[in-house]
Amino acid sequence: MADKVKIKVDHLTKRFGDLLVLDDISFEVKKGEFICVVGPTGCGKTTFLNLLTRIYQPSSGELYIDEEPADPKKHNISFAFQEPSAMPWLTVEENLEFGLKIKKIPKEERKKRVDRILKLLGMENLRNAYPKQLSVSEEQRVIIGRAFSTYPDLLLMDEPYGQMDIKMRFYLEDEVLKLWKEFGSTVIFITHNIEEAIYLAERVLILSNKPAKIKENLEINLSRPRDVTSEEFIELRKYVTDQIKWW
Amino acid sequence: MRIKKEKISTEYKMKYSIWYHVLPFLSIGLLIAVWYLGSSSNPMIFPTPNTVLRRMIELSQNKLSGYTLIGHMGVSLLRVAVSLGLAIIIGVPLGVLIGWSRGVRATIGAVFECIRPIPMLAWIPLMVMWFGIGEKSKIIMIFMAALMPIVVNSYTGIKMISPLYLDVGKMFNASTEWQLLRSIVLPAALPTIFAGIRNATSMALMVVLAAEMIAARAGLGFLINRGMEVFDVSLVMSGMVAIGVTGALVAVLTNFIERKLCPWNRSI
Repeated sequence: MADKVKIKVDHLTKRFGDLLVLDDISFEVKKGEFICVVGPTGCGKTTFLNLLTRIYQPSSGELYIDEEPADPKKHNISFAFQEPSAMPWLTVEENLEFGLKIKKIPKEERKKRVDRILKLLGMENLRNAYPKQLSVSEEQRVIIGRAFSTYPDLLLMDEPYGQMDIKMRFYLEDEVLKLWKEFGSTVIFITHNIEEAIYLAERVLILSNKPAKIKENLEINLSRPRDVTSEEFIELRKYVTDQIKWW
Repeated sequence: MRIKKEKISTEYKMKYSIWYHVLPFLSIGLLIAVWYLGSSSNPMIFPTPNTVLRRMIELSQNKLSGYTLIGHMGVSLLRVAVSLGLAIIIGVPLGVLIGWSRGVRATIGAVFECIRPIPMLAWIPLMVMWFGIGEKSKIIMIFMAALMPIVVNSYTGIKMISPLYLDVGKMFNASTEWQLLRSIVLPAALPTIFAGIRNATSMALMVVLAAEMIAARAGLGFLINRGMEVFDVSLVMSGMVAIGVTGALVAVLTNFIERKLCPWNRSI
């Protein structure tokens, strides 16, 4: 069960006119796996993500979820944005409930899930606060919690901690790992931060320069919690950095 | 050391906070003092605050043209309430539609943009010629004045919504226009819509006076106009103070409703 393929990206190619952005990308993600995607700046990471969310249609190739072509209407795909995107008019509790309401999840179940996430995030005392009353990291935790609340088939995260300082990032990385372990969601996390990728991922996909191909599919076999100062960690970080160097 | 600094800072904040509560009373006191000084040279032209207050008490006890001062305030307020209510019922959906639908923006929005710059006062003769000098023309005049800011703010509020919120809705599969409108667009635009309603209330209070000055037998505009006709400056100023008080009460009520409807919009 643990090795069941959840997501299959099959020869995904994207062109904008004559410009080839993604070139024949294929990989598989097992159910409940945490994948990080890294690559040089401008290599097409966002295009790659937009293909997965179906904002763009591929020029060729396909994305399968549970062996069926991905369809946002059928599959439960969730997304955590880089920018603060908590709804300012909703309280923390209502923000966590937002996606569940749209998906018409029954009230009892909604309450159960929201309480569970609030407890996991340690934000029970802030359930009635508005985003304006929260710190940046608290708001980002709400966004991550909201993304997990729908128990997604696939959770896509686009550099959600890109604008945070290092201390806050470390803290939020642990929060996302806590939620991922608890809910067993399948996560694809895009980042330009190699340390972050190695800290979080079970597997790192290294993309090449444009047109992006998968340069390497790297298993991260470090035990958790990971120590960013350990020798193995530093070695892996150096290795991945060398792989994405284009100079 | 740090704790001491924090303590000092809290004390400063408390001191300032008390000041901010006291300052409005001081400025009103200052205004009354200036009024006293200014009115002492020629009380016939510029009555003292005492004279105006006495006149207001007298107007509250004895009827003028069938109403006491409170009655006249009530008549003006009723005209404002009816017109403002109509303007909200029609203006908010119209503004939302103009902001949301390109088709409506290109048709009704274009017509609205042509009409909007015409000042309300320019409509008054037309309204009187079309609808006479009765209640109907007054309500329509106030309605027209209140409608403009409500429509403008409603469609501005819709256009200003961050596309990010709509992306979040779409990501959770909010597929129908109604779902997006109800869950994202309307709540996001509500503070701006409410700012329009606040402007509309001020406009309505302004126009009710103008409308009542043209032809009316009751209302605060009528009181001011009557005072002007018989050169009764204290009556004019009583009407002015009464409209000021009415405006302040309406502002308090509007703020209360806004705080209830948009609790997230309060300053921290």
